[in-house]
Amino acid sequence: MKNLAEAAVTVDEAARTATAIPQFEGENSFSVDEAYAVQAMSIARRLDRGEKRVGVKMGLTSRAKMIQVGVDEVIWGRLTDDMRVEEGGSISMADYVHPRVEPEVAFLMGAPLSGDVSNLEAMAAVEAVAPALEIIDSRYKDFKFALGDVVADNSSSSGFVVGDWRAPDIDFSNLGIVLSADGRPVQIGSSAAILGNPVRSLVAAARMVARWGETLEPGWIVLAGGATAAHPLAAGMTVRSETQDLGTVGFSVAD
Amino acid sequence: MTENIQKAADLLFEAHASGVPCDPVRELLPEGDVDAAYAVQDINTRRWLDAGRRLVGRKIGLTSKSVQAQLGVDQPDYGMLYADMDVAEGEEIDVSRVMQPKVEAEIAFIIGDDLNSEQLTSADVMGAIDYAVAAIEVVGSRVANWDIRILDTVADNASSGLYVLGHEPKRMGEFDPRLCGMVMEKSGEPVSVGAGAACLGSPVSATLWLAKVMAKAGRPLGKGDVVLSGALGPMAPVAPGDVVEARIHGLGSVRAAFAAE
Repeated sequence: MKNLAEAAVTVDEAARTATAIPQFEGENSFSVDEAYAVQAMSIARRLDRGEKRVGVKMGLTSRAKMIQVGVDEVIWGRLTDDMRVEEGGSISMADYVHPRVEPEVAFLMGAPLSGDVSNLEAMAAVEAVAPALEIIDSRYKDFKFALGDVVADNSSSSGFVVGDWRAPDIDFSNLGIVLSADGRPVQIGSSAAILGNPVRSLVAAARMVARWGETLEPGWIVLAGGATAAHPLAAGMTVRSETQDLGTVGFSVAD
Repeated sequence: MTENIQKAADLLFEAHASGVPCDPVRELLPEGDVDAAYAVQDINTRRWLDAGRRLVGRKIGLTSKSVQAQLGVDQPDYGMLYADMDVAEGEEIDVSRVMQPKVEAEIAFIIGDDLNSEQLTSADVMGAIDYAVAAIEVVGSRVANWDIRILDTVADNASSGLYVLGHEPKRMGEFDPRLCGMVMEKSGEPVSVGAGAACLGSPVSATLWLAKVMAKAGRPLGKGDVVLSGALGPMAPVAPGDVVEARIHGLGSVRAAFAAE
């Protein structure tokens, strides 16, 4: 019998100390359900250390990434207050293994949402929408992993930056996004890359957390998924993302 | 040299007429001689105009960083648009009309004023744009297997084919040419995602480049000209029966429907 609790310690320690670990392969590999159990236990350790739960992140939300990993369902991870990076603030490379950044759309929940919901019900629970950047950092060597690995590793989530919130009263299904590093565009895309419309990602989030007895709580942030491919971070880099109708969000990498 | 330019033009003209793609023509031209490739294009432009085809605009190609890198160039290129390339929205397209067809989503600018100066500015271009619409360009290549380098595509009228214009004209100021999101779906599946900035930083900048180059080349842009300003995302192949829809935020949508075989 696999020791899932032990695996939870392994991924949590890898994240806490920014140390790369090997994949869980062969008899140690996880089913998707086992992987979510490992994720839940590893985040519980973070909460025991005093971190606070602040939301969820969605992953594999683009067709390209689903095909790349060979899955047909999105994945999710848990966000804590310790992962939050101040808008305009800076991070240190030492806190990550091999971090990348991707531009996203963030939802701020105004009402609880869980289970099978319509797009309309999902949007009715949203208080605000904002441009966001997610710092993803697989703890696995060379960013190589199977589906079970990445889910156990909190779906590669390690940090996030959120820009200014605005009322969700605009059409945000196809907003152009330019991700720049040191002032030069490195990725160009649209919020349409997120399942065709970011609201679909929110609907998936409500459905998926419900399977684990969770509810998207008022005040929580839902990161809807990457709108472009991820860009590798490097010491000294300044990152900025500009989203049509939503504005800009950025941070820098100190060393 | 002149002989080879004529020979390259003949090969491409014959490929177009017969529907049988030809070998690349780059070997016939001095390496890296883009001017020679435009000379090839110009021979066929004059041929088509003499044959009665109506010149209605220009297309800009190679506007994305990734495509430029792929072909090892650092500049876009242009080709001629003729009236018979215009497909009405809703009209089924016979795939055989374009050799080895692929589709791209673009912003089309319709010019309202003459841009006949080599010293044009962004302000001149924005002032001369009458309106913009979402567009799908069906590109094609007369060169077998799209085995093209810069000289081949320039000589081959920038790999032009057909185009469909959307029906929601917008004036400058009513949409964001640089940050507009673009998604193109083929039979409901997303095949290309991008934004205005993917086209040389902005489709307006691409159009400024074109306007200057066309003024210099003696075929300046003028009132009524259609400018296909360049792809906002990757191109996608199409097959008989495909229905392609492109949506550009602020400019609505446009469809290209290909007839089943």
